[in-house]
Amino acid sequence: MPTSLILAILLIAIILAGLVAFRPGLTVARGGKVLAFLALFVFPVFAGLLGLENHVERSKQTSFCLTCHIMEPYGRSLYVDDPSFIPAAHFQNSRIPRDEACYTCHTDYTLYYGGIKAKFRGLHHIYAQYISKPHHPIKLYQPYNNRECLHCHLGSRSFEQGAVHTADAQTMADIKSNKLSCTSSGCHDNVHNVSQLDHVKYWKPVE
Amino acid sequence: MPLQTQFMSKRLRLAGALIILGLVVQALSLMWNHPLSFIAFVSIGGLFLASGIVIYLLALVSSSAANSDDPALQSTIRILPH
Repeated sequence: MPTSLILAILLIAIILAGLVAFRPGLTVARGGKVLAFLALFVFPVFAGLLGLENHVERSKQTSFCLTCHIMEPYGRSLYVDDPSFIPAAHFQNSRIPRDEACYTCHTDYTLYYGGIKAKFRGLHHIYAQYISKPHHPIKLYQPYNNRECLHCHLGSRSFEQGAVHTADAQTMADIKSNKLSCTSSGCHDNVHNVSQLDHVKYWKPVE
Repeated sequence: MPLQTQFMSKRLRLAGALIILGLVVQALSLMWNHPLSFIAFVSIGGLFLASGIVIYLLALVSSSAANSDDPALQSTIRILPH
């Protein structure tokens, strides 16, 4: 739902709550009681839930992730002019939606599929960013899960019939069960590689 | 104005004011695309909104409980035809 529409609903909720707050005498009549219930319960809850959903959706945006200073090199790595950089190749060729690039490949990150622990990690990131200091370099909490690759690549010809993937039956089974990481050394191991960013060329998108 | 009505008016004013404050904070946070805006939305806006709603619901409950304790109301209920 567009933010402007949610803001309009919030405005209606504010007006209704204001009406009841500044003219409580209205609630003496039966109709007024219904109005008070709508204004002080139904509308605020509805508007609040819409706002929450909007915030969660917006937090999937690449620009949202890159508001933290520490993420800046990871954002820059998406523009490296080298197809061996896996995130850059995916981003530049629109294999993932550019405006939700981070979320598409890190679905288990903090707010989304993660459990309570992941939510607390999200809060810890905000604490680290604004109050304490983030770890340098930042690291994933858990090894990168193949699920993030397979939610697109599973079933695709290049994955299912790739020469290395099908070299033996065990390899494919290990990839699919996350025993053998896609980012293993010698496979797709050139990921963000932020330590190399000063020595690479960058792609400039056509405006 | 009866005491009960005064009490309800006060509670409605307080609940309304808190809800308005919460909704305003939430509306402002929606205009800012930043991790802190999400925190403001949940912790400040959500807190005001939840407090306002709880105060309103408690006022409703206590007002209906007071009404049921009111002897005049009870006698009216007793004489009403079933």
